[in-house]
Amino acid sequence: MKFDVVIIGGGLAGMVAGISLQKEGLSTAIVSGGQNALHFFSGTFESIKEPDVRLSTLLREAGIHVHYAPGVRLMPLGTFRESALSLEDISLFSSPIIGRRALIVNLTGYHDFFSSFIAEGLEKQGLECRIRFISLPELEQLQLSPSEMRSVQIARKMDRVWNKVVQEVCVLLKDEDTVILPQVFGLSDASVPGRIRQGIPAQVVFAGTMPPSVPGIRTQMLLKRRFEVLGGTFLAGDEALSAHVHDGVVHSIVTRNLDSHYLEASSFILASGGYFSKGLRSNPFRVEEPVFGLDVEYAQDRNDWYNPSFAQDQPYMGYGVKTDASLLAIKDGEPLKNLYAIGSVLGSTRPEFGTAAGLAINSAFAVVDEILRRSAPQDDNVFHSDIVCHSERSEESEKEQ
Amino acid sequence: MKPNEFDVIIIGGGITGAGTQRDCAMRGLRTLLIERSDIATGATGRNHGLLHSGARYAVNDAESARECIQENMILKRIAAHCIDETDGLFITLPEDDLAYQQNFVQACQSAGINAEIIDPDLARRLEPSVNPDLIGAVRVPDGSVDPFRLCAANMLDAKLHGGQVRLQTEVTGFIREGDTIIGVHTRNIHGESADYYAPVTVNACGIWGHGIAAMAGVNVGMFPAKGALLIFAHRVNNLVINRCRKPSNADILVPGDTVCVIGTTSTRIPFEECDNVAVTPDEVTLLITEGAKLAPSLSSTRILRAYAGVRPLVSADDDPTGRNISRGIVCLDHEVRDGLKGFVTITGGKLMTYRLMAEIATNAVCQKLGIDKPCETANIPLPGSEEKSYEHVAQKIWESPSTAQKAAASRMGTRASRIRSGDRRDEALICECEEVSVGEINAAIDRLEVSTLTDLRRRTRVGMGTCQGEFCACRAAGLLAKAHGCVERERKDLADFLQERWKGNFPIGWGDTLREAEYTQWVYKHVLGL
Repeated sequence: MKFDVVIIGGGLAGMVAGISLQKEGLSTAIVSGGQNALHFFSGTFESIKEPDVRLSTLLREAGIHVHYAPGVRLMPLGTFRESALSLEDISLFSSPIIGRRALIVNLTGYHDFFSSFIAEGLEKQGLECRIRFISLPELEQLQLSPSEMRSVQIARKMDRVWNKVVQEVCVLLKDEDTVILPQVFGLSDASVPGRIRQGIPAQVVFAGTMPPSVPGIRTQMLLKRRFEVLGGTFLAGDEALSAHVHDGVVHSIVTRNLDSHYLEASSFILASGGYFSKGLRSNPFRVEEPVFGLDVEYAQDRNDWYNPSFAQDQPYMGYGVKTDASLLAIKDGEPLKNLYAIGSVLGSTRPEFGTAAGLAINSAFAVVDEILRRSAPQDDNVFHSDIVCHSERSEESEKEQ
Repeated sequence: MKPNEFDVIIIGGGITGAGTQRDCAMRGLRTLLIERSDIATGATGRNHGLLHSGARYAVNDAESARECIQENMILKRIAAHCIDETDGLFITLPEDDLAYQQNFVQACQSAGINAEIIDPDLARRLEPSVNPDLIGAVRVPDGSVDPFRLCAANMLDAKLHGGQVRLQTEVTGFIREGDTIIGVHTRNIHGESADYYAPVTVNACGIWGHGIAAMAGVNVGMFPAKGALLIFAHRVNNLVINRCRKPSNADILVPGDTVCVIGTTSTRIPFEECDNVAVTPDEVTLLITEGAKLAPSLSSTRILRAYAGVRPLVSADDDPTGRNISRGIVCLDHEVRDGLKGFVTITGGKLMTYRLMAEIATNAVCQKLGIDKPCETANIPLPGSEEKSYEHVAQKIWESPSTAQKAAASRMGTRASRIRSGDRRDEALICECEEVSVGEINAAIDRLEVSTLTDLRRRTRVGMGTCQGEFCACRAAGLLAKAHGCVERERKDLADFLQERWKGNFPIGWGDTLREAEYTQWVYKHVLGL
């Protein structure tokens, strides 16, 4: 199978790159192993300090609404952290004094929402807090099974019965100006959090739960849908195993499911993530990049990989594949001619692109621009008409949905 | 008697102290146990968890071997829910001398250990993970023991016999009257001071007994020998596997609950390091290399953590490795030895012989108090161990028990009946790796003196599984915050717990362990905002 671009990794970096390239008319395939960092996405685009029109537009076209309001957000353990750009679910405040009185509502039997920690955190900011538990008959079945009361299972039920939560909260609400709810709403319908806010006569704040993150999974699903609507090929549950590289050019990659049907492309993007996502692999002696065997920046002495203090930054988390100025990945000391690396597989080797979600997005856009610049054909007109056709088609199919 | 007056004060909440308190309490004494941190924090909780048959000592230390096999049989009777009767193999590899096997079996038999030479083929069938190259095998009645559970059960029984326990309380000095120790000054974790009085005080502090003795003005020469161990994420073997040769490094592989443990090393360390022993990369390499000779699949099995304990050996000679010192029991009556009345030190020994140590120490206490009552700890089961089979226990409590309920019964024994409640929500799992429910955690908080998440881990296995507390730590912290009514304290506790888990993870931080650690660090720092 032949594409213009093949992307390894369906996390935030890979999806942003895939959507942008596909929209510009380049046929793109994404090989996605399944779970990625979006499954524990906090909902905030950390390290992005400025409003990002390009990102906001891309997300909006995918049905993901963000807002920009530099300030702080409430963390699941009751602390506050600086944030500027977030999903609309996530409330941003100018200060941690987010109200006068707060009603914190948890679900009976749900241990992954830390209501007492949130109460204590808010009380430190001078708020009066009241914690109440609500029970819905629809959740009873989940409560009976010892490991079912988890965010996504609850969210699936809530997609149908969220309005009952609104009713319960309205009954419980006394003189509180703020209501805190767990982030278990709007898994399949992004408009639900907004509708809950409209239904409750107080400021409603959705606070995070233990992963998986409901807004994160929704974001993942919407990005994937957008990519496919644009005509992209999303190979879910597949894994890149190895590559055919000659004279510094990647010709194709081998994946687990496609076996002898190699994925060929003019350009490849490695967006395979860090250790968790298996973009980086470690053994007692070295840190490796498993698909291409790229050069990885890491300390030779394993004792230097860790900080004995859990709370401190860990050196191993900064390790990543080496790249040149245009993010072309380096193998055996030389940049490959058509393989780019983006997102957390870079570790913190390229601090100028930011960290976490910021690194994913900034490096993805940089590589998209580079690929578009390099693939600009001699005959401009032909290429442009091609793009127009493509995007019109995709917008039509979007309307059909 | 005033509330702060007792017949005996026991310092040290390891297995020796808890066992001594149980024995004293069962003989009718008013007892107080004082522990500066939590139960089983020293050598008690930092070893293989091997229920020795005594075979390991048979050739070089017949006395220890005899003590071990006797206690082995007693513990199988009185501590069923803390013990897994796996049996063990002593294997001879091509590089070992097969002639040693004859010596070994003879020594075992004369110590009363049922050691039976079996065909290597049979050994491979009994224990598929064993090194297939073995040229000889001996089967012995080794097993595994959960030291945390054993310690908690002894402490609970002491309490059921009227004993009092002060955890997180440090002895800051002794109260003297002439040449007699009549009590102790203490300070607890909240900075509160208290004095307690008793005609006899027992020093059962393991390696820290050296410092306690010095505080009392007497010298007990100790020899801190560090032993490093690794825990693997799977129960690779079902039988304990030992090398049939002179005891050496990393030659015992013990299955326990859901994991297995390889160890150990022996390195002399200075006293200052006893409070914070670290496992070095060289030790990790040695443990993996030697361990793979017992069970080759260990070289590709995920390692969960590395940890080390300090053996409380009493100095006897100049052997720099500490291996040739007898693990024998040392009970010092300081009145006879040093002219200091009202003070007894019980040390040496090992987890296996804790009950016998307790009996010897209690005999000494009773003699001082002029009490003549027989020791009954060898005959009466510990609370939870009244039934032998945990499956039978689970069946009795729940008609058709789930795997989680069976796991609870295996951890709690007959006490598991306490977690049955009318509320199905108590069955919700807090720790999915080890299948620990809300009910079991609440039962531990109610009955077993839990103040921190780490305490809870020792009593329930919360956070001991594959994820090393990634998901359960936060959930359990929620329950503790509710029970103690203090979130601020719990927030710090959660950070301490994760730090403690990381301490055992980073020495083996590669592969899937590093993947898990990256996820945990990311989630707690950036997602949850700890």
